[in-house]
Amino acid sequence: MASIRIRNLVKRFGNVTVIPDLSLDIPDHEFVVLVGPSGCGKSTLLRILAGLESVNEGDVYIGEERVNTVPAAKRDIAMVFQDYALYPHMTVRQNMAFALEMRGMSKAEIEERVQKAAKLLHIDGLLDRRPKALSGGQRQRVAMGRAIVRDPKVFLFDEPLSNLDAKLRAQVRAEIKALSQQLRTTMVFVTHDQIEAMTMADRIVVMQSGVIQQVGSPEEVYEKPANMFVAGFIGSPSMNFIPARMTDGEICLEDGVSFPAERLFPVRSQAIEAGQPLTLGVRPEHFLFAPDDPAAFKAQVSLVEPLGSDTLVHFTAGGIDAVARVSPDLRPKPGDVLPLIPAPNKVHLFMPETGEAIC
Amino acid sequence: MTSTPSADRWIGYLNTVLLMVAGIIVVAPTLWMVLSSFKFSHEVTAYPPTLFFTPTLTNYVSLWERTPFIQYGINSAVVTSASTALGILLGTPAAFVVSWTRITWPAIVTLLARMAPGTLFLLPWYLMFRQIDMIGSYWALILTHAVITMPIVIWVLLPFFDNIPRSIFEAAQVDGCSPIRVFYRIALPLVSAGLSVSSILAFVFSWNYFLFALVLSNSDTKTLIAASFNFIGEGSTNWGALMAAATLIALPPLVLAIIVQRWLVSGLTLGAVKG
Ligand SMILES: Nc1ncnc2c1ncn2[C@@H]1O[C@H](COP(=O)(O)OP(=O)(O)O)[C@@H](O)[C@H]1O
Ligand SMILES: [Mg+2]
Repeated sequence: MASIRIRNLVKRFGNVTVIPDLSLDIPDHEFVVLVGPSGCGKSTLLRILAGLESVNEGDVYIGEERVNTVPAAKRDIAMVFQDYALYPHMTVRQNMAFALEMRGMSKAEIEERVQKAAKLLHIDGLLDRRPKALSGGQRQRVAMGRAIVRDPKVFLFDEPLSNLDAKLRAQVRAEIKALSQQLRTTMVFVTHDQIEAMTMADRIVVMQSGVIQQVGSPEEVYEKPANMFVAGFIGSPSMNFIPARMTDGEICLEDGVSFPAERLFPVRSQAIEAGQPLTLGVRPEHFLFAPDDPAAFKAQVSLVEPLGSDTLVHFTAGGIDAVARVSPDLRPKPGDVLPLIPAPNKVHLFMPETGEAIC
Repeated sequence: MTSTPSADRWIGYLNTVLLMVAGIIVVAPTLWMVLSSFKFSHEVTAYPPTLFFTPTLTNYVSLWERTPFIQYGINSAVVTSASTALGILLGTPAAFVVSWTRITWPAIVTLLARMAPGTLFLLPWYLMFRQIDMIGSYWALILTHAVITMPIVIWVLLPFFDNIPRSIFEAAQVDGCSPIRVFYRIALPLVSAGLSVSSILAFVFSWNYFLFALVLSNSDTKTLIAASFNFIGEGSTNWGALMAAATLIALPPLVLAIIVQRWLVSGLTLGAVKG
């Protein structure tokens, strides 16, 4: 068990800079999820922590030790790979025992640990099989088992659920979370799937192009996104971004749709200068159906996606295209007009040029 | 393009015919060799070759009586086995490192050495081995035959190593393996099919290579194939004995190939590693 400290990390492949300058602290016991679009450098960062990739500049500490030049074998970390990377010529038992054997542990203790981990993951019936004779889900469990028998300082996961089907993924997601609460070991989990990040993390690190965009709890990154990238990346369907302008007490959208500012921002409306161009961010779930509200605008329904629990409504209003999540009881149909209004205090404002959130 | 059933049938016929032609090209000389070994010398060179004749063991008997055939056989076995072992011992880690680091020039160099005509090496080696008084020793032959076996081992094994997902090696490192342990605990067991293929090929090529033995051996260490050259041109060539010797020499690689046939095929087509 150990904390992780990364200071001014720079990573280049040839003359391509993948991570320009990254600092991050991960406290002991924390379950951190690195999330970001494909190719943003998540795996590279994880592999640097594992010792599988070198560092160009900066420092990496695991616990109190600076590990920049410590080889993977000596870092006492465990890693679950995207393709599981099980040893094909070994049985499940041997796969799980391998790392312990490398550490010179006694046969009896190895067997005890393997049994315990196998029970925990419900693979105790598979111990004598080869990886070839396992299903995808079982292989995934073996890969996890190989990590948890170790009792390492840190667990690293590189998109370990991406090769599972949707149902299994949801199940394993919950299991990993339960496991993390049981083991209390520092975990760094990489994924491009924001739902995995939201559901599992103690803290989420949102990355883009090798740069950390925001670090925060799932609630924080959802409720207070630092910029438009985070706002658009976290949450599904994505936040609607609507160009707007502040005029005396009103927020005007294109084509004359406008709201009284204090309706949307009872608290913070003073901070915004009049005439300033803004980007309004509204999540689909934050449009309210408001038939009796005079401030509501008329949303022309263009497409309806029922999800069962909610219904997604694609609509236009003035020059705006947006998505709202409404109650399925409304039974909207294309062509309907719904009176909608953004929920007070749920609307985000961004600077259009920089994408930074305005508080 | 869609293929009609009749086109398929024609492709099938063509396949059969081509395979038969290939078969005849390969088998005919072998058959000729084996048959000739049971003929009297004057019959061997008869034209057209006779298919029906009274077989005789004269050639084999004379081979036995006139040459230390067993000794040559032992020489060949020693040199070939040892040079194959040496080739595996050196070539396997070399192939692993080339595959791991993706630094390919050492493999290219061995390939060039292998493709260069053997005569190129002869003079320097002759002088070198004479200097250290090793002409006629087994070691001179074993070491020089490693030039035959090692490139084969490297080039046969390279795709086997390349075929192992890199993450497996990385997992092993994370699990606490030093690179050397990664090699013998993980990589080596995963290329066992490649090891058998490369040892067989190395064995066959080393067994059949005569040039180095011709120069670097003496009458005690002469290999079978080099010795069989003595049948050519001692006044008149003893074709019958030569064919008998050739038949016996061809036997071990052939038997080996038949025994490990299934391994060889599955090894040559790879896929052995993927789970
Ligand atoms: N070994 C490598 N050599 C060169 N470029 C690499 C290498 N590994 C990764 N990259 C590049 O670094 C960037 C980040 O890759 P990666 O960390 O795998 O992204 P992610 O895991 O977030 O999808 C990508 O643009 C990728 O092409
Ligand atoms: Mg990745």
